[in-house]
Amino acid sequence: MRNSIEFVVYGDYALFTDPLTKLGGEKLSYQVPTYQALKGIVESIYWKPTLIFYIDAVRVMNPIRMESKGIRPMDYGGGNTLANYTYLRDVRYQVRAYFEFNMNRPDMAYDRNEFKHHNILKRSLKAGGRRDIFLGARECQAYVEPCVFGEGDGFYNNYGDIHLGSMIHGINYPDETGRNQLEVRLWNPVMKNGIIQFIRPEQCTQVRLITDMVPKHFDRTNVITSDELLAQLEEGGNP
Amino acid sequence: MSWLLNLYETYEANVDLVGKIETKHNDQEYTLLPVSHTTQNAHIEVEITEDGEFHSASVIDKSDANTIIPCTENSASRAGAVIAPYPLHDKLSYVAGDYVAYGGVIKKEEPFSYYIKQLEQWADSPYAAAKVKSIYRYLSKGRLIQDLVDCKILYADTEHRLIDKWDKHAEEMYGARPPIFSVVTGELTSAFVRFNVYSSSGNILTKVWKDREMYDSFIRFYSSQLGDEDLCYVTGKTLPATDKHANKIRNAADKAKLISANDTSGFTFRGRFHHSHEAASISYEVSQKAHNALKWLINRQAKIIDQRVFLVWSNDDQHIPSIDEDLYSIAPIPAVKEKISFTNKEFASEVAKAMDGYRNRLSSSSGDKVNILVLDSATTGRMAVLYYRNMDKELYLDRLVDWHSTCVWLHRYRKDDNGDVVQFYGAPATRDIAFAAYGPRASDKIVKGLMERMLPCIIDGRNIPSDIISSSFHRTSNPEAMDRWEWEKTLSITCALINKKLNYRREGFNVALDTENNDRDYLFGRLLAIADVLERRALGADETRATNAIRYMSAFSRHPARTWKTIQDCLQPYQARLGTKGIYLSKIIDEVASRIPADKFTNKPLSEVYLLGFYSQRHELYQKKENNDPAETSI
Repeated sequence: MRNSIEFVVYGDYALFTDPLTKLGGEKLSYQVPTYQALKGIVESIYWKPTLIFYIDAVRVMNPIRMESKGIRPMDYGGGNTLANYTYLRDVRYQVRAYFEFNMNRPDMAYDRNEFKHHNILKRSLKAGGRRDIFLGARECQAYVEPCVFGEGDGFYNNYGDIHLGSMIHGINYPDETGRNQLEVRLWNPVMKNGIIQFIRPEQCTQVRLITDMVPKHFDRTNVITSDELLAQLEEGGNP
Repeated sequence: MSWLLNLYETYEANVDLVGKIETKHNDQEYTLLPVSHTTQNAHIEVEITEDGEFHSASVIDKSDANTIIPCTENSASRAGAVIAPYPLHDKLSYVAGDYVAYGGVIKKEEPFSYYIKQLEQWADSPYAAAKVKSIYRYLSKGRLIQDLVDCKILYADTEHRLIDKWDKHAEEMYGARPPIFSVVTGELTSAFVRFNVYSSSGNILTKVWKDREMYDSFIRFYSSQLGDEDLCYVTGKTLPATDKHANKIRNAADKAKLISANDTSGFTFRGRFHHSHEAASISYEVSQKAHNALKWLINRQAKIIDQRVFLVWSNDDQHIPSIDEDLYSIAPIPAVKEKISFTNKEFASEVAKAMDGYRNRLSSSSGDKVNILVLDSATTGRMAVLYYRNMDKELYLDRLVDWHSTCVWLHRYRKDDNGDVVQFYGAPATRDIAFAAYGPRASDKIVKGLMERMLPCIIDGRNIPSDIISSSFHRTSNPEAMDRWEWEKTLSITCALINKKLNYRREGFNVALDTENNDRDYLFGRLLAIADVLERRALGADETRATNAIRYMSAFSRHPARTWKTIQDCLQPYQARLGTKGIYLSKIIDEVASRIPADKFTNKPLSEVYLLGFYSQRHELYQKKENNDPAETSI
């Protein structure tokens, strides 16, 4: 695939929250990462509004283990409550992803230079990503490194199929779909010998409308240009 | 697959058991509840004829009180002043039309009007069974209390008011306390009434609350009433959704819910979503079936320790060997083998044979999964899934075989059905490991934490956490702190844990004495055992005090060379007392000690291996005594 990268992401803990357990606050992780979580990881490596990332496949390298921890989440009015969060423990995933241009952003058309973005993406990956990487939840820090997808020994190499049931695929945002709606996609992944081949977001048939939403509009009125910023900085003022 | 989907499928696979009442070991009844049904303890049973006339009534004995009743989403979670009647059986204040006439106090509106309206809808619907119509016809007359008073179940005072408390005044009027007052706790108005239909033509009808036709009638009626359809996150189908989920999952008093939504105070889903139904949705049918299956499974086969639920089940056949048992309770036959000179390989195949029993029974449909679920709640209202795995049953059984054939030692703390101590060779139960590591007074909190930590060791073949091993090792090396039986138990369990750790490094030991082993720690352990046995023999059967070897064990493990000198000095009077009988033991002391090279005969602390040497040597000597006593004395 053109414009693709392959990388390994690993960390001590991961929490890809099952939305059914999120409501009450006692979070339980899905057994494997969702498409959206992986997309977020790629976007942390490098992202511009010009791009939409797509995840081809993920390979689960380590056995799926869970570990629960007692957590003290915050309450609105101050103080805290008690909850049990159940994390995945000691995870390692190989991911293959690529990007396409976001055609819903005509304002970024001038920036559509494949080779430039692909090369920056690869450089950013080599450096471990531009922003910090986390697995599902902010407290689960992780690391990315370039790799060759499929290389190395995985725990599920000869395991056969694991049906994962209904899972979240991801969330449709209006600036990526062109529809002024927030939607949630569900799908029924099957892990074959440790590898989940993702379908593209538009191929998901189980789409649930959440609410109406319009993409945030950017123009000169709410974006400060770098030239202006530089000028301000030189004056010694803090923007 | 997700845990909810697996629970849902378990329900579907066991649909033939719905409503069938089973009993637990403590005679408590439980059942796989039908959808839209729950259980309640009823106090009064009212029989109604098929034409809707009052027939008779009786007070229900406590042992028979458990009743399956239909319920709606609202009634199942009603609390406080909310008026939400159950569809058929309910409290007196709901079902009696003349409740107010008999002095009943109501808060705002009359609950009966809501109740009877709801029942009317059911009775008029195309799904109504004949029994519902009979009951509706009777109740719409609104004279239940009057009939109950007439047949002397309830009593009214002179002012035509229901007697709520059996005081002196009532006793003057009617005499002894009637049975209803001992059945109902609290106010009489909370007496729960169940209805049954009596056939005047002599046909024996199934009790209303055990009648499958009635279940189906209500399920169909109620499913036609359900609200908006939405995409179900469990099945992926578009079905009527619910936002009210079951509580009472672990027991009848348990308020904790697995699925709940409360974001008026905590940061749970707000941000991208404003309402709970935006964040996730689950269909009524799946929620009902999954929760009912879970309750049933917990009643049936879960281990609950300090409110933490450990559950292992398979969708088709629930009888899966559990992870928290020792080998003796899973497969007593190979475990009590007298012969212990097994190699691990032979033993593993024995365990595998025992497990094959399960394997064969489970092999009816291929690709079966075994589910492991751990539940607990941090606060009263919510419950969390602490651990969930579903794995191939072949793999699961292989892992159990592996665990039970590597974490092994010879134990003598179990008793059989006759109360006799049995000797078994195998893996200890996780609960016993907790007691070995943290002492017999370890709180349930600690036990449950350890059990959860042991799960990955058993089902993923991971290392046992080193703090558990070292804690039991240090406890074992300090026998003075424990009773003798407790120390013996701790010793054999610790040996099993150490053996498992060494097995992981492919250095497993057997209980049978390895006379070829020249490991320093192993030899020191043997020395200690011989000293112990020698002194014990010299003391004779009547003297039960601890031997010097045992008393110095703690010091010995830390400074073996120095302490051994002390122990050997102490041995001399006993050697003298034994005379020629002690020669054999003295000889092996010399033999073992001579095999420790001089440069290793130091005060370097002993590793865990010394316990294995100690146990094996002592076992060997006791065997000798039992079997070859004459041969030994002739030396």
